[in-house]
Amino acid sequence: MTQADLLNGLSEEDAGRLLALGKRVVLTSGAELFHLGDHADCIYLIARGRVRLTLPMHVRDREEDVMVEERSPGQTVGWSALIPPYQFTLTATAPLETEVTALSRDALKQHFAAHPETGYTVSLNLASIIGERLQLFQAMWVREVQRMVELRCA
Amino acid sequence: MEMLLMGACLSMFGLAVTCLAFGTATREEKPVTASGTEERAGVAKAVAPARFFVDPPVIPIAAHARIPIEALLLQIENHVRLEQAAAESFMRTPNPALLHSRTSSALVN
Repeated sequence: MTQADLLNGLSEEDAGRLLALGKRVVLTSGAELFHLGDHADCIYLIARGRVRLTLPMHVRDREEDVMVEERSPGQTVGWSALIPPYQFTLTATAPLETEVTALSRDALKQHFAAHPETGYTVSLNLASIIGERLQLFQAMWVREVQRMVELRCA
Repeated sequence: MEMLLMGACLSMFGLAVTCLAFGTATREEKPVTASGTEERAGVAKAVAPARFFVDPPVIPIAAHARIPIEALLLQIENHVRLEQAAAESFMRTPNPALLHSRTSSALVN
C-alpha cells in the first residue's frame, strides 16, 4: 500500500504513519463505497480489487449508472473528501470483492498539521491525481466533439 | 436515298430509346411524405461517404432500439474504456493524430 499514488515521494516510515490513520474496509462484490451527492468525509486508497466510478445517464427512459472510470490497486478514489464542498461527484461501487483503506479528512488534517512536509507531498500527489483526470477527460471530450463535428460536416 | 433515310430514322429511334433509358436510370424517386411512414418509423439515414451508383446505407433507429438494454450498456462501457485508452495514449505522447484517431467502438460505428 505504500506504493499508492497518494503516497508517492513519502518515505516508508512517513507512508506507514499515514496509513496507520486509515481504516481497512472490505467491500463485497456489488457493494457501494459512496454515492453521488453524498457528504464526503473519507478518501480511499485501493488495496485490492477494483472500484467503478459511475454517473447516471438516461438510456431509453431509464436512469442507468454508466461507468466513466475504473480504478485499480494503488489508486485513490474519493478526493472530494479533501476538497470543498466535500461532496462526492460520482458513485463508486466494487465490481468484485475489494479492499480499501479509508482515510478521514479530520485525521489527515491533524496529521498534516503535525507533519507539514507529509501534507505538502500528499497535496502535490492529490493535485497530480486530479490534474491527470482533468487532462484525460479533456482529451475524451475533444474526441467526442471531433466526432460530432465530423458528423455535422459530412 | 431510301437506305440513307432508313439509316437516319433508325439512328433517331436509337437515340430516343437511349435518352428514355438514361432518363429512367437517373430519375430521382419522390419521397413518400403522404403516408409519413418514414417519420413515424423514425428512420434516419446514416451518414456515410457517397459512392458512385450506390445509395448510402439506411440504418433505421428502430434497429438500434431493438438492441437489449444490457447490450447497449455494455457498448457504452466498452466505448468509455476505448476512449479512455485513446486519451491515455494521447497523454503519453501528445499529438493531434492520437487525439483524433478513429475508434472501433460499436457505439459510434
